Amino acid sequence: MGRDLASAAELVKLAGALGTTPERVTFAAALDRDAIRQLRQRVVDALYDEHRAVFQRVAAITGVLPTPLNVRITLRAFSPLLAARVAGEMPPDRAAELANRMPVSYLAEGCVHLDPRRAGPLISRIDPERVLAVVRELVRRGEFITLGRLLDVASERVVRDVAAVVCDEALLRIGLYAESDARLTRAVAVLPAERLRGIVACALAGPSDLRSAGLALIGRLDDDRLRGRLADYAAEADDETLTTLLRTAIDDGAVGELLTAVAAMSPHAQRRVLALPALAEPDVRRHLAKAAATHPLRTRLATLLAPDGSY
Amino acid sequence: MRSDEREVLRAWLGGDARALDVLSDRELAELHDALVAAKKRQARALAAASEAALAQMPASLRGSIGKLLER
Repeated sequence: MGRDLASAAELVKLAGALGTTPERVTFAAALDRDAIRQLRQRVVDALYDEHRAVFQRVAAITGVLPTPLNVRITLRAFSPLLAARVAGEMPPDRAAELANRMPVSYLAEGCVHLDPRRAGPLISRIDPERVLAVVRELVRRGEFITLGRLLDVASERVVRDVAAVVCDEALLRIGLYAESDARLTRAVAVLPAERLRGIVACALAGPSDLRSAGLALIGRLDDDRLRGRLADYAAEADDETLTTLLRTAIDDGAVGELLTAVAAMSPHAQRRVLALPALAEPDVRRHLAKAAATHPLRTRLATLLAPDGSY
Repeated sequence: MRSDEREVLRAWLGGDARALDVLSDRELAELHDALVAAKKRQARALAAASEAALAQMPASLRGSIGKLLER
């Protein structure tokens, strides 16, 4: 992924907001994660504001037409993007009444364009079974950015229900694009231990981008104990798997996330991963030392990596 | 980038958007062009949708709703 994983994910989301490709938003690559996120939210607001008066008028018209006619007109005339814009201006109860009568595929496409900051009250009023069906459809389409954005407005019940029907790989990819570290942490915390162990195993066994997603997830959790549990699960892997993870972290610029995970491990798990033969390689040591020097936990890491002060 | 484009971005994104302080003139010009293109796409889609929505409505409502939509 290059640069830091969270910023790269934000660039992908910015491209989506502008209706273009990640290659066309490299102008924002100099910004940090929070600045890219702020820019994206301002872009979404600017696009809403441009035609907001029309969206409000259309929303008002739906109030004087019977629901079946509203559904018919919406499905025949409005793209899911415009329906999502209008839905943001409707009373949530009425928008939910319409959503409960629309095809799952249309709702899934609409979700791609929904601004979670405006849509939370609507989503909480939609039939939970329909919400799950839409999530399944979004997973089938690989719309993990959309799902990550919507995680912020998902209730704990929805998170549990979704986790029950979605595979480990999908959960990892959704987590990569979560809006808020705090919300991501709460969503991970409601998952049972065996599920978390499975997600860690899935990340370790997967391709490079999935290992990176796992590192990004661990790096973004804001609960050290929860991070420590996940990191301990990872430390149960064999040398070859852990070495592959180490090399992925170096290749994808995620050594900082890797060190965050190591710092959160139990002493037993730390001893196990710090005994990896690959850590003796000069190039690996150079990458670790460079990342540790600017890491928020650098003092602790220095002790961990080289109790004799050799790093 | 032209100075008026910077002012346009300031008006659209808010004067406190950090991108305005950090990005170079060339990068801001690219952002400006991307946002203009997105606004145009949305305007075209909205115009087409309004026409199509009116065509679906009962004839008795079309005139008054068309006025509400300013078409």
